[in-house]
Order: sequence, then C-alpha cells, then structure tokens
Amino acid sequence: MVPFKSIWSHVAPLVAHAERPSRYINHEWGCVYKPDADFRFCMIYPDTYELGQANQALRILVNAVNARPGMSAERGFLPAPEMCDALRQAGLPMFSIESCAPLAAFDAIGITLPHELAATNVLEAIDLGGVPIRALDRAEDDPIVVGGGPCAYNPEPYAPFFDAINIGEGEESLPEGLEVIRQMRREGAARRDIWRALARLDGWYVPALYRWHTPEEAQAAGSWIEPLEEGLPTTIVKRLFDGFAESPAWEPCIVPFAEAVHDRLNVEVLRGCARGCRFCQAGMMYRPVRERSADNVVDSVVQGLAETGYDEVSLTSLSTTDHSQIAEILERLNKRYEGTGVRISIPSQRLDSFGARMADLVAGQKKGGLTFAPEAGTQRLRDVINKNVTEDDLFGAVDAAFAAGWRRCKLYFMIGLPTETDEDVKGIARLVQQVYDHAKAIVPKEQKGSIQISASVALFVPKAHTPFQWDGQIPPEEALRRVNLLRHSVKYRAVSVSWHDPKTSFVEAVMSRSGREAADLVEAAWRRGARFDAWSECFLEDAWRTSAEELGIDVQAVAQTSYPTDYVMPWEHISCGADRRWLAREHDKAVLEQTTPDCTFGRCSACGVCMKLGADNQLAGDRND
Amino acid sequence: MTDPNAPRVFRLRSTFIERDRLAMLSHLEVAHALERTVRRAGLPFAVSQGFSPHMKIAFGAALPVGVGSTCEIFDLQLREYVPAGKALAALQQASVPDLMVQDCRYIENSAPAASVAFPFSTYEVRFDEPVCSVVVPDQITVVRKRKEKTLDVAEFLAEPFALEGDRATFTLEAKPTGSLRPDVLLQHCDIAANVISVTRIAQRAEL
Repeated sequence: MVPFKSIWSHVAPLVAHAERPSRYINHEWGCVYKPDADFRFCMIYPDTYELGQANQALRILVNAVNARPGMSAERGFLPAPEMCDALRQAGLPMFSIESCAPLAAFDAIGITLPHELAATNVLEAIDLGGVPIRALDRAEDDPIVVGGGPCAYNPEPYAPFFDAINIGEGEESLPEGLEVIRQMRREGAARRDIWRALARLDGWYVPALYRWHTPEEAQAAGSWIEPLEEGLPTTIVKRLFDGFAESPAWEPCIVPFAEAVHDRLNVEVLRGCARGCRFCQAGMMYRPVRERSADNVVDSVVQGLAETGYDEVSLTSLSTTDHSQIAEILERLNKRYEGTGVRISIPSQRLDSFGARMADLVAGQKKGGLTFAPEAGTQRLRDVINKNVTEDDLFGAVDAAFAAGWRRCKLYFMIGLPTETDEDVKGIARLVQQVYDHAKAIVPKEQKGSIQISASVALFVPKAHTPFQWDGQIPPEEALRRVNLLRHSVKYRAVSVSWHDPKTSFVEAVMSRSGREAADLVEAAWRRGARFDAWSECFLEDAWRTSAEELGIDVQAVAQTSYPTDYVMPWEHISCGADRRWLAREHDKAVLEQTTPDCTFGRCSACGVCMKLGADNQLAGDRND
Repeated sequence: MTDPNAPRVFRLRSTFIERDRLAMLSHLEVAHALERTVRRAGLPFAVSQGFSPHMKIAFGAALPVGVGSTCEIFDLQLREYVPAGKALAALQQASVPDLMVQDCRYIENSAPAASVAFPFSTYEVRFDEPVCSVVVPDQITVVRKRKEKTLDVAEFLAEPFALEGDRATFTLEAKPTGSLRPDVLLQHCDIAANVISVTRIAQRAEL
C-alpha cells in the first residue's frame, strides 16, 4: 500500500514553476485538516482548482464526511494539463490538497461527474493518482473509487471505472457508504465483499455485480442489467436529502486564494424545480421542490458573509425567483447591506415582470445585462417543451427591465427541439425583434442607441430521465441550416445572434445516451490523449472519432436515433423517482402540444417522485404566480 | 486638497508576514485575501462612493511570486476609530497563520502611500549549504513588456551581500523608473549553492 504522507517537498519545485501555484498550495481560510482520522477520503473534482473549488457538491460532501468522527475528507483537483505532464515526468502522483498525499494512499476516493465532457478527466485523475482505472483491475489495498453527481443518472459510460456509484443527493448516503467501507476494511474484508455490502445500501449502484445485456435481451427483459448474484436490487432509486429545507443554508466553505469561478458566497435557497420543461434533466433529477425559509436564508447569508469575508452573495437554485419568499428575502438583505459594498445576485430570473422586479431589487445602480430563456420562438413549440411562458410574460419582463434601467438583454434559445419546423426557427427571429421593439418603446429617445438585444442559440441534446430522452438530435448539417435560416430571418441590425458550433456535441450525446459499451470508447480516447474535453483548446476530436471507428461505435446513430417510448433506454435501472410512464405520457403530450402545470403553483401532475421517495414539496409559503 | 466636508477617516497601517507556501501567492491574490480578512475581522472600513463601491485599502510595494516576507504593509481607512490593539486582535483572528497580521498603528492621513514610502527593501536568502562568495554581475538584462532592458546592478543594490553561513542579506532600492527583483538578481549571481528561500525582512524609508 502507498504510504499516507505528504509529497510536498517533491511537488514544491514543480509548483514553483507552475502556471498558477495557488492551485496547489492549500492553507486557504476555512479548510479543515484532520490528520488523526483513521479513515481517509479524497473528494475529487475532475477539472482544475478554479472550477472545482466553486463546486457545491464538493463543498457539501467534504463537510458531510468531515462531520463524522474519525473520518477525514480532503479535496483533490486535477492539475492543469502541463502540471499533469510535469508530475508524470517527475514520477509523481496526483495528490490531495490538504495533506498533499498521493491519491492511492487514501481509503476511498470520490469523483463527482458534473457534465458530459469530464469522462476522460476521470481517467486522468485515477491514473495520475496511481490507481488502476478499472475497478476489476484494482488490488485489495487500492482505494475504493466511488462516483456521483448529475452524470451518474446515466452511469453506464463510467461504470467500469468505479467500484460504486452513488445516485442522487449525497449528504447522507455518501457518509453511510464510506462508513460501510471503513468498517469492512477494518475487518479486513475483500473488495468484492465491500461491493456486495455497498450494493445493498439505498442509492448505491455497483456495476461490476451486474451483467450488461445485449440490446435484444434488454428490450425483452425491460432492463439492461442483470444481477450476477442473489439479493441485489434491480432498480437503484436516487437518494434524497430529506432534511434539506430545515438544514442551515450556510454551508461552511473555503475562501480560495486563486481566483475561482463563482468566487463568492453561494447560498442554496431551494432545491428542485417542478416547472417541468421537457428537455431539462435538472428539473427531473432534483424533485421534489424544497424551499429553505426566509429566516434560514437571511441568517445564513449574514453568517456566511461574516465568516468568509466575501463581498458578494449569490442566492443559488434552479429557479430562485420562484421561491415563495424571494421578495422578502431580497428586501431584508438589501436593507441590511445598504452602503456596505456587498452585492447580492440571483443566477437567473423567471421570465415575467415579477422576475424582472426581483432582478431590479438586487441590481442597485449597476445594471449589466439581463438574461432570459424563452427556449423556443413560437407558442406552439413552447407548449411542446412545456416552457409555460407566453409572449406576454416575456414582453412584461422586457418592459419592466428596460423601464428599470437595463439596456442589454440576452435571450437563450434551443434549436433542434423535437417537432421543430422552419416556422419555429423563424419565430425566434420574430420574437427577438419584437423584444427590441418593446425595448425601444420604453427607453428614452436619446438612449435608443444603447439598446442591445442578443439571442444565443444552443443545440438540443437529449438527456436521460427526461420526456425527450427518446428523441434524437438533428444532424450537424441540419443544425447549421436552421441557424442560417435564423440568421437570415433577423432583419434588425441591433439584434445579434450567436451560435457556438459545438464540436464536442457528439461526445456529449454519446455520454448522455450510451450504455456500458461507451466506457471502452472513453478509455480508448483517453489513451489517445483526450483529456480536458471541455476546454476547447484541449479537445482532441480525432482521438474520439478514431476510437469510435476502431470500436465500431456509430456516434451519429447514438446521437440521432429516435426511439418509441416503449424502448428501454440504457439507464432504465436508475430511477430519479419520476415514473417512466409519466415521462412517456409527457412525451406524448409534447407531440400533442399540451402543457402540464407546475405542481408548486397548481395541482399535482403525478410525476411519481413524491410517491416513490415518500416525500413532498416543501414550500416556505404560497408561491407568487 | 481635502474636502472639508468629507467624513473623517482613520488611517490604520498594518504589517503582515507572508511565509512558506503562501510566498507563492501573487500580489493580486494577497490583495484579495487581505480584503476578505478585513471583512472577516468586522472592522468599520470606509467604502468608496460611486458606481462600484469598494473598500478603501492600499497595499505596499508588490512582492515577487515565490518571495516571502516578514514585513508587508497595507493601509486601511476606517470610518470609526478602533484602538489599534483591538484592530490587531480582530485581524489576527481572521488571518490564516502563514498570512498573519503582526502589527497595527495609526498614521497621519497625509503620510505617503505604503507603496512609495519605503523604497529600500532588505532580503534574506537561505542556501542549501554555506556560501563564501556571491559574485554580482555589473548589468542584468530583463524583459519587460516584451522589451529588453538593461539594468545597472549598482544603481539598485543599496547594500551589498552580507554572508553568514548558509544565509545572506542584501538591500535593493526601488526607483520611480523601475526596480530590480531580488529573485532575478539571485538568478544572475554566481553562487556555489542553491537558493532555498528568499524573504523580505525589512522595508525602510532611508538607509
């Protein structure tokens, strides 16, 4: 076994010459160091420090594990590419931040899977840490490698690389799983026995204990996996952190030296969103909706700012302006922090005049740009995707925003949504031009030149556990045609359309829609040098394409095939709580252009989450429709 | 030119150390960290007026990345008088050990800025073995803003190397036209040992 000791004296000369030494040096305000723990866990974000340090899952889970007596959780971030190379060249492993200890010296390693382009970085981290990349190749004393996070909802492309995967919210289930590993390691249990025990815990999936079916077997059996032993669950239901609403919104956090993304106090005001947009995975994954009370939020902001010294707080969630007490929260915070230079921000606003008013409450004098996401250009298509927003809502928001002093507005749209026609694409152009007309009618004459309206267009990617999971992506050529159609349809020179051609979209589609066979592709691409796929300057398209050809994986078919709703998808054995029949019904309603209301404003839509998880929406008050 | 109606402010000068791994922080990172330290300390700092209000804090001469210090300086304007000892205790409570505030005292509002008040910096170098001579070059060519610039070492080296076993001290003067970095000077000297650490141990107004 690799000894648990600091390798800092070896690493220091490399850090001194690294691009940003502060990524590697530890000693930030708020970090927790438990050298006397008898069980050591390293929580890894599969990208560099400045991205990972901002990650909420990492912060929450490190705190949750450190709260257990005798357990320590350290942080790990993948070194920047040139530092990975320098470490390899010097024969040094990836190390944890707090102890600067090799990953292989930990009892367990956790890796969060934040998005579809992090897969090769997962392998880079495990390998650079000195641990065999496949669970089946690990020795008895190698760390147990566990995964989790948003992409764990389709775990199969990652399955062989993890000993176990935690589905859902990890506040309670991660420490529970680690406790099992700790007990069994203490008793000298074999790795396979630890797998067996983990597989019997709620919310834990141990891929190596299941055989992967052939497509024919899967369609006949209704599942792609078959337990190799008696007594294993055939469906892994996500874990829910039941105490979320009552738990303090102040989550103790580290204040980094290096300039990280979202480098501010982040206070999670609510979890979940039940608006039910049919393309949105987060909206399905984080149900039910749980609000923290205004008192909880305000007290947490006060405490968090005092303890961190930050001068900015973001009230985070999937839909902060839906919080039933958001106006009260913002008013109380404004009053408290007036004249102190503290900024309060909300990550996105709901698309109506209420949303714009809330944005105005926190913007103060400094009004940058305001962002809204109508997602589709016609009412027909917005009904298809269940974006329950009308043109009047949008114009109401725009009128309120420009009257309050905003001059820039960015609108997000998707193209390639199921059932989209050329009329819908042209509808985007019409809508943004109407937005411009509204802005012009409100802004004083002499300021008309400062109005900027832009539309940002992204390509629809089908996501697991959504009503659109069965729908294929449009081919790249067709996407380009539709974007050009949109560009030609915009006649106003003051309106700009931006389209970022996603070279990586086939990788996203593969990771989003494939089964276990995609793991070989990930490994082959990584062996050809693919890593940091989310960094456009690092993305090696050839490494992926050549590997796919070699393995006979038709990436076009993976991305573009549409299936009937009785087709069994590769993540059928994972449950986020939403009933597959409800997903199929939502899919059918989409085709019929019928909408489904948000159950936090209206009646239950019978998605099945509350029944399945024995939970309920928890609202702090009545929501303001 | 002081505005007679401007609210009274109290100018608190603090010195702090920057040691071990935190010597690798950049000047900007240290500045951010100190602003947050001041906020955590709960001191009644003054805030600038205008579009984007910010803390009225000013920093001393920048320290090169990799060079530690026992004597860095920042000046903070306070809206209210807080006894210096109390301010020091609050700042220390809010500091990490390797970026620790050591001393606080009030200075005149008219006193020169910390960044220009102390042009003479004395550095201590530690080597991996005892050193009996340091050969200093006459000139050093550095690249600044993509332009080569030749510096006469004598113009900047205010006090020569004083050797003592595996340590040496020397003093550099910062000029309004530019300065010579201690790490750059050491790279160009002929020394029969490896540098383990460089630390600024004094900042002075005059020799």
